[in-house]
Amino acid sequence: MLTTPWFQFSLPDFQYAFLSILLEGAPFLLGGAILSGLLEEFLPQSLMTRLLPMNPRTAIVVSGLLGMIFPVCECGIVPVVRRLLRKGLPVSCGVTYMLAAPIVNPLVILSTLAAFRGQGAVEMTLLRFVIGLTVAILAGWVVSFAAPFSILRPGLLGSEADHDHGHAAASPIDRLTNVTTVASRDFLDVAVYFVIGAAAAALFGTAVNQEVILPLAENPPLAIASLMGLASVLSVCSTTDAFIAATLTTFPMAAKLAFLVFGPMLDFKLLFLYGAAFSRRFILLLAAGLFVVIGLLCWRLATLNLAW
Amino acid sequence: MSLRISILRDALLLTLWGGMILWLSLTKQLATYLHPALQPYTTAAGVIFLLLAIFRVRSLMVLPTPHQHEHHNHDACCAHPHHEEEAHDHGAHHQESHRGKSVALIGKTLLLLLPLAIIVSGKATAYSVTTVQNRGVVGDLSKLPAASAAAPASPSTSASSSATGAMPLQIIDMLYAIQMPSYREEFEGKKVEMIGQYVPMTTGNPKGDRFQAVRMFITCCAADAKPVGVIVQYPQRLTMPEMGWVKITGKPTFPMEGGRRAAILEATKVEPCPAPSEPFVY
Repeated sequence: MLTTPWFQFSLPDFQYAFLSILLEGAPFLLGGAILSGLLEEFLPQSLMTRLLPMNPRTAIVVSGLLGMIFPVCECGIVPVVRRLLRKGLPVSCGVTYMLAAPIVNPLVILSTLAAFRGQGAVEMTLLRFVIGLTVAILAGWVVSFAAPFSILRPGLLGSEADHDHGHAAASPIDRLTNVTTVASRDFLDVAVYFVIGAAAAALFGTAVNQEVILPLAENPPLAIASLMGLASVLSVCSTTDAFIAATLTTFPMAAKLAFLVFGPMLDFKLLFLYGAAFSRRFILLLAAGLFVVIGLLCWRLATLNLAW
Repeated sequence: MSLRISILRDALLLTLWGGMILWLSLTKQLATYLHPALQPYTTAAGVIFLLLAIFRVRSLMVLPTPHQHEHHNHDACCAHPHHEEEAHDHGAHHQESHRGKSVALIGKTLLLLLPLAIIVSGKATAYSVTTVQNRGVVGDLSKLPAASAAAPASPSTSASSSATGAMPLQIIDMLYAIQMPSYREEFEGKKVEMIGQYVPMTTGNPKGDRFQAVRMFITCCAADAKPVGVIVQYPQRLTMPEMGWVKITGKPTFPMEGGRRAAILEATKVEPCPAPSEPFVY
């Protein structure tokens, strides 16, 4: 039984958590926007199509692994994906990269290993990597059957071809100006969604009594669902979320795994951030699909009674 | 809205964000929000925001004149690069569409100014007891990120005694001591001094002589803060504000309560004190 009400709101507390999330995430979002500016200025459209395998399925798998050599956390991923899509990256590959990069990122692998020391660190890290990558590839594969206009935000894809010419003749300072122009616009465009997402995360993080989810720990399906919900609410960066998950000692490992896979793919701030690139309908379908698929995969793992 | 105004709007927002972050950094207020490891990134972002603003202003100097690129003005009012806007409908609803986009742009601008307004208001600098109640006070180190991995060899602040002869001790030291008998022997029953935030105990306090001293433990930023605390037993009546900083002098005890070992500080003196320069424990 709860000792305090399930919902108690304090405006200064909400504002405090809201600012903390923004101050923590702003450098990473900015990093993504700068990377987007560099891609716009220096990555020729033809190179993108040459780099990816011709076979669409292989291209989706390669996009999922791109995060290992091109690491971006979930705050910075949206400006990068927007730019890559405008540069001609197939939407299916863009979605796969966006969902996988915050998980297959080497920093995330190391932090998961460190956080779960003594709690099956290798198994947890490996399963996080494999399930995260598998779900991202699966999402990309499903998206490959849909028309891009039904997935992307209207007007996202413009004609980039006319923007690719003439760069070779531009002076370095002009090129730098182009990079900063794109970076500024992308940051300000995406920051709007980040602000809304941070507000949602701060509201749930400060006003909802976290004792509410504790009784759910006993039942595996409910534990998995509730930790996926908690991952969304907390909206912690994927580089550090393992340290939080490792402390949820009353929950089964499969539920912690669900927390670690679902959170970087779809937390509250991402729900709004994705709006900078994708249609509202697609985001809702993606959210529901990820929740069900990750939930079922983790539940299946829970029934195997693995020794970890 | 002309292209010039759009660029100036971007430059202004970037300047305000950069300026505000650098002000928080220079006045050491970033420590109120972020783990020390993350503060350099945010400070660097502040500098980069200002540089981006300078480049935005510079781009004003190389703008084409209206007669050179008439369609640029159309794009500018939408605040998008021209190549992203070529699919726009230039039909009968053009004016209405532009009005809608201007309203949306003003809304977005106000939204981006909102965090700055909150910082200027100066009210969002600490949690109240509401969040402590919603998150619950952690008294078991296994529920604390990373802290459970390894305890320090000796109490974190025991190097020197204070002017009163009391050993300075952190709340987290008492929590470590619950788990480790050898660590407990270092200060159990000795006179110690501890700083924490005052949280009244509404349950498990039948005699009304207990309160909790808490500190916020953070992993990344204040948004993930978990209150960690110990029980303080003090027979005298207290009139402290909730979450006010207090200095407690007393003796640590570790009795069994409800089948579990608890950390209780039997206080001889409780007095208000200023907030420490490091408000969090990490």
